[in-house]
Amino acid sequence: MSTIPELHPRPFRLISNLAVAHLRHEWILTLCLVLALAAVIAPLLVLLGLKEGTVETLRERLVEDPIYRELRPAQTREFSHEWFEQVELWDGVSFITPTVLPLSSVLSVQYPEQRRTELFDLIPTRSGDPLLLENGAVIPDDHQVVLSAEAARRLGLKKGDTLQAQVTRARSGRQEVAEANLEIVSVLPSRAGMLPRLYASLDFVVDVEAFKEGYASPSRGWAGSSPEPFLSYDGAYLLISPPMPPIERSGLVINTGFARLSELDEAAWQQSMGLRLSDGWAVYDLQTIGSTVTPSNFRAIEQKLRGYQRVLIPYVNDLSLIATNGQALEVIGISLSSDDSERLGLPIIPWGAFDATRLEPQRLLQMLTPSDQTLHQPITFEGQLPISFDVNTHIYTDIEHHYIPAELLGILGTARQRALSLEDERGFLMHRGGYRGFRMYAASIDDVPRLYHQLREQGLEVIAEVEAIERIQVLDAGLNRLFWLIAVLGISGGTAVLVVSLYAAVERRRRDLGVLRLIGVARSQVFFFPVAQSLIMAVIGIIVSYLGYAIIAGVINRTFAADLAAEEAFCRLPPSHIVISIAATLFVALLASLVAAYRATGIDPAEAIREQ
Amino acid sequence: MLDLQGDVLVSMQSVLKRRTQGDSVFELDVPEFDARRGQLTAVVGDSGCGKSTLLDLIALVMKPTHAGSFHLQVDDQSYDIAECWSNNDESRLATFRRLHLGYVLQTGGLLPFLSVSDNILLPARVKGIEVSEQRLNRLSERLGIASCLGRKPDALSIGQRQRVGILRALIHSPALILADEPTAAVDKTRALSIMHEMSSLAREEGQSVIVVTHDVDLVEHLADQTYGFYTTQQSEFVTQSVCKRVS
Repeated sequence: MSTIPELHPRPFRLISNLAVAHLRHEWILTLCLVLALAAVIAPLLVLLGLKEGTVETLRERLVEDPIYRELRPAQTREFSHEWFEQVELWDGVSFITPTVLPLSSVLSVQYPEQRRTELFDLIPTRSGDPLLLENGAVIPDDHQVVLSAEAARRLGLKKGDTLQAQVTRARSGRQEVAEANLEIVSVLPSRAGMLPRLYASLDFVVDVEAFKEGYASPSRGWAGSSPEPFLSYDGAYLLISPPMPPIERSGLVINTGFARLSELDEAAWQQSMGLRLSDGWAVYDLQTIGSTVTPSNFRAIEQKLRGYQRVLIPYVNDLSLIATNGQALEVIGISLSSDDSERLGLPIIPWGAFDATRLEPQRLLQMLTPSDQTLHQPITFEGQLPISFDVNTHIYTDIEHHYIPAELLGILGTARQRALSLEDERGFLMHRGGYRGFRMYAASIDDVPRLYHQLREQGLEVIAEVEAIERIQVLDAGLNRLFWLIAVLGISGGTAVLVVSLYAAVERRRRDLGVLRLIGVARSQVFFFPVAQSLIMAVIGIIVSYLGYAIIAGVINRTFAADLAAEEAFCRLPPSHIVISIAATLFVALLASLVAAYRATGIDPAEAIREQ
Repeated sequence: MLDLQGDVLVSMQSVLKRRTQGDSVFELDVPEFDARRGQLTAVVGDSGCGKSTLLDLIALVMKPTHAGSFHLQVDDQSYDIAECWSNNDESRLATFRRLHLGYVLQTGGLLPFLSVSDNILLPARVKGIEVSEQRLNRLSERLGIASCLGRKPDALSIGQRQRVGILRALIHSPALILADEPTAAVDKTRALSIMHEMSSLAREEGQSVIVVTHDVDLVEHLADQTYGFYTTQQSEFVTQSVCKRVS
């Protein structure tokens, strides 16, 4: 047998044309069916539009408002740089910025054209801050500021104006003022918060805090002192003559910050300090538990030792410096007045007695070194930050160890925990240790409860709108369920109408379909007759439904226009929902036609001949 | 009048169709059947003799119970219908129907939702060929239905519908036209004229026609050959009918 064309060149087009002709012929039935479909689809669209519009408007106002995603600590605690680095990586954290203590971050702002000033809270921000970005504001740079709505209203300032601010402090009984002119880059809407606030870069806020604490900010031209490091030790040796009776000794540490006192014999003393012990002197080791020893501990114990000949020598365990050649130098700290040196039979110390207020580099950077060793300078201390310096060496032939000023030892003791640097003119400077608070935003409200519990696990009391969020989530889930319930009901009804009508149409047109089969339309092509009809009616139904929806949505939105912002609508469908609703309708129509389509394929062409 | 010189278009040998309905069995036996190109073959018989069954077999819509040989010969090709049925190759049979067969049904069998001209052109569209407007107009004028083309079938008289049915059967130039009691619904005079027109049109178009009717008078002057049925009651339940050529 030769090959012959198996199929009509464009069978679907032919079938669709026949389907359309049939629908037009029975236009009243078609109209009824289309209206029935629209009667199902249009209310669902309005309902979906209302859910999307109303709930999303409320959601956007309430739930997606960054304020609802904010978490902040309820207590003041030190948060290190490392802590911020770690937390920033947590799942669901979209933004975190350190904050400083509220009292340290107020700015006195000059009212324009007036002599009056008022204090405003200064809140640190940085790039990515959702509170600013999601409220249409720009992140301020170092010389800019963003105003809250209330701050702008009070001051009568607007975007583009310049804010004249002052930072004040009292130092040595004198009022000192630093000036800052900040450009206003944005004014936040009132939904970002009702309090009068200024948002500025973290650097600026930190400088304000530092100025209030008495420090300078050279880059801003603000005068002040440098943040000198405090001194910290692991303990102190108390040399005393004559030795104390045990009863007095045991009461010595009370209220001094020291926790323990133990006597050292001469050998142990020799071992740890490399020094002799003069006759008639005893050595006690003073220690704390879990905290460092600072000069305030020394002052407290000195108070109790009036009348005794005594010398306090603070120590830091296992502290070594590294010379340029890689040699490790175990150093011992000692600062003694020449009188004390004589009394103890020790060599004269060139830098003199211990004085925690004299931390200038030229005094501190000295070292006693045994004669037989050459020191390769500079030497380095590997603290939180490495510090390198040159020391002025004094060669003492009768010692075995390296000695540095006890004050330098205390600074290095602090440098183990805190970032310090040595700057030529300003000496040792202590960098900021950490922050006293933070402002965190979750990526979405759904992350808030988890982050809340995660922070609480760290022993931190946290303020967050957890309850409100959970309430809104419950409401939202409830509305979703309600919508889907109604949608399922409506869609089921609509589908049933379609299934029955299409099936009835096939039954009514059995003979006509048989004629089509007789004149050579394939079984598989007859299948598409009800399918095409269903899809055509679905398309018309969708068009009618959207017309109805547009009218009703317009009425609803006009009715509530007074309660809505310009871009808000109570009833609206996002484009994605329109696409999905059309696709879903066509899909359901397709499914609904399958029963009828299957029925149509069973029609025997002989029925067309046999009729009547 | 008998002319057996035309090419054979349909040929059947030893074709049997057994139909069971409840307890009763009806058996149609066709020892030999030919229909030739350019000829009108009449199949005459009373109701219940099996003439519609024969037509269903020829129309390729009924599967024979047994077929010694059943061929359709068109355009120098011979197609084995018996094989198609034994393979249940329905789409191929549908293709044959589409390409080579035309049907005139009892009351026209027109689709009520298509206009008369769309009804006429439907087989051509299913076949995928163009019909010139000239041909449509010429043939419809010939059949006296030119004024009806734009109307729906509902608006036509039964005789007009029948003529539309005839035109629909031959518009796409099939090799074979099958007509099942084409004039059952009209009076004798009109029936004769309709038969005449169909027969002469088919001859002009070089098409073969098989007419099934109970009315011998209707076809006796037109038919090139006539088949009849010899029915015997084999038993209480079995009826056998043998289809034979009547000379």
